[in-house]
Amino acid sequence: MSSVRLSDLRRTTSFRLALLFLALFGAASLTLFGFLYWQTAGYLKNGTDEWLARELASLVAASPSQLIEHLNEHAARDPEGDRPFALFDAAGHGVAGKVANLPTPSPSNRPFEFRLNRRGEAVTFRGLAHRLPSGDVVLVSQNVHEMHEFRELLVGAMAWGGLLVLIMGLAGAAVIGAGSVRRIDEVARAIERIVNGNLAERLPTRGTAGDLDRLVDVVNGMLDDIERLMHEVKGVSDGIAHDLRTPLTRLLAGLERAARRAASVEEFAAAVDEAIVETKAVLSTFGAMLRISEVEDGARRTGFTTLDLAAIAADVRDFYEPLAEGKGVSLSLKDGSRGSAKMAGDPSLLFEAIGNLVDNAIKFTPSGSRVTLRIFRANENLGVIVTDTGPGIPAEEREAVLRRFYRAERSRHTPGSGLGLSLVAAVARLHGLDVVIEDAKPGCRVTLRREGASTWPTLAAAVTQDTRPAALGR
Amino acid sequence: MARVLVVEDDVQTAAEIAAALGDSGFDVDCAHTGREGLLKAGADTYEAIVLDRMLPGGVDGLTVLSTLRTVGVEAPVLILSALSAVDERVRGLRAGGDDYLTKPFEFLELTARIEVLVRRQAIPRRDTMLHVGDLEIDLLSREVRRAGRLVELLPREYHLLEYLMRQPNQVVTRTMLFEEVWGYHYDERTNVIDVHIGKLRRKLDEGGLPTLIHTVRSSGYVLRAAE
Repeated sequence: MSSVRLSDLRRTTSFRLALLFLALFGAASLTLFGFLYWQTAGYLKNGTDEWLARELASLVAASPSQLIEHLNEHAARDPEGDRPFALFDAAGHGVAGKVANLPTPSPSNRPFEFRLNRRGEAVTFRGLAHRLPSGDVVLVSQNVHEMHEFRELLVGAMAWGGLLVLIMGLAGAAVIGAGSVRRIDEVARAIERIVNGNLAERLPTRGTAGDLDRLVDVVNGMLDDIERLMHEVKGVSDGIAHDLRTPLTRLLAGLERAARRAASVEEFAAAVDEAIVETKAVLSTFGAMLRISEVEDGARRTGFTTLDLAAIAADVRDFYEPLAEGKGVSLSLKDGSRGSAKMAGDPSLLFEAIGNLVDNAIKFTPSGSRVTLRIFRANENLGVIVTDTGPGIPAEEREAVLRRFYRAERSRHTPGSGLGLSLVAAVARLHGLDVVIEDAKPGCRVTLRREGASTWPTLAAAVTQDTRPAALGR
Repeated sequence: MARVLVVEDDVQTAAEIAAALGDSGFDVDCAHTGREGLLKAGADTYEAIVLDRMLPGGVDGLTVLSTLRTVGVEAPVLILSALSAVDERVRGLRAGGDDYLTKPFEFLELTARIEVLVRRQAIPRRDTMLHVGDLEIDLLSREVRRAGRLVELLPREYHLLEYLMRQPNQVVTRTMLFEEVWGYHYDERTNVIDVHIGKLRRKLDEGGLPTLIHTVRSSGYVLRAAE
């Protein structure tokens, strides 16, 4: 696999989605951390402020001499100077306590922050000052350096954590995006190969049943159809090539021979007659091909009328009877429709289709055997069955014989265009009928029956019962 | 001599049709556009018109046909069409056409059909007996006699014979027989009609009588009195 370019990555949907989720997640985390920070910092500050107010209140309540005493006691208890208390005169100079000068500005009765030097370092204190009626000022304060450090730690943790999440998120998005770019690349390359003519190629799937896999499955199904159609078209072209080129070659050869050698009017006349016969054969094949296309495009359905299938079958029997008789084949008609074989359709096309089946049956059935034409009606299902006792069609060829120009091996040398059964299939499709080719043991049975999944089993049962009495007891 | 108008835009095809019809004894005029065809058909009387379905210049075959019928030209019209859609036939006949032929066609088919169209007007169908040579059929009792002897025919064979008897000495093609006698319309290319004709011929010629039904150029038949 080739490497994934960054510009490709940026455009992939999964990468963009990952980024979007990262942004949403980041915003949510930021809000959560912000709230936590605000609550924690507020809690710490409030605790300090309450303690300051309590201490100040007790100092203010004392008399001036007691105040000095309290301050000294406090200083003794606080050698580190982490909680310095102090008294200043009106000018702000220290009278007692561990703070030399009143920090400015120092609002009265409102907590404020100021800095003092402790062992050569500026340290932040939070204080509360009160101006006594004498003009002196009392200050209580506490080292809040640790509180600040804790807050900084909190912010630092948030920043580093956020950065880590961002990096991991970006990396994840890149990995996912790269995966999808690679996947799309694979699919695109497969499509390119298909476009370049390799129709057997299929788009790669990963078997994960993911959404891309589902899409690929659908496209692969479509490719199967296209491949089948292309094969059919190729089969048709080959068929045209064979069935039209052969008579055209003979036609040309005959005419050239006449031009080269014919000496008398009779010889020319004979050549012309041969040419006419060949041309007719070409026209016949050509016409049959066009007819199948016409029937297949479905336009003929506009000419549908209500017809009686049994009457058409009777006409077919009537029409082909002499042909069967001439070959020593018995052709019989069994009408099992009980007088209700009405359906919408085109009489000429159905006659031609059923006629084609009967014609084939007679052609392939040896002298002395039978061909049966049967109309059946089972519930709402109407159909025609043509059964012969000929050699039958091998199971593997049954679908193929319905394709255009397909000639079974055994029929390769009998006359015909190889279009008959494909016309039958086209006519059946136009009328919503299924073509089913089965083994009649011996022989072949072709059924044209109305499609309908819901009624299929009854119909199949009816067909089976018709031919195999043993199954009746069921 | 019966006059036929051919309206066909392809000059060479028109000339071939004219030649084929001329060989069959028709007097042929040609028109190469719908407009010209309308003018000629309106100005003159023709016994039949061969009309191409697709004509250039805005006036196509069906327009010509419906205009002719509107102005009262009743000459039978045979429509020629290269259109492959099968229901074109129905459309053509509905527009007032009398017969329909799809290109490519055999000229025998065309001339035979034109002859039937022309003759159909000339002979009123009021006879109850038809005669060709020593063959006669009674249209009421459906009895067929050859040289006085009763010939037993199946219903379909009788229909076949009746149609041939109505067009004596005229070429009738397999396709025409299939359409008229069986009533289905498609280009039946198998030799099944030949088998039917063969059976009919054997029944009629029984006892070594000279044949009355002759095969013409492998795709048509003619019923002609033995000489």
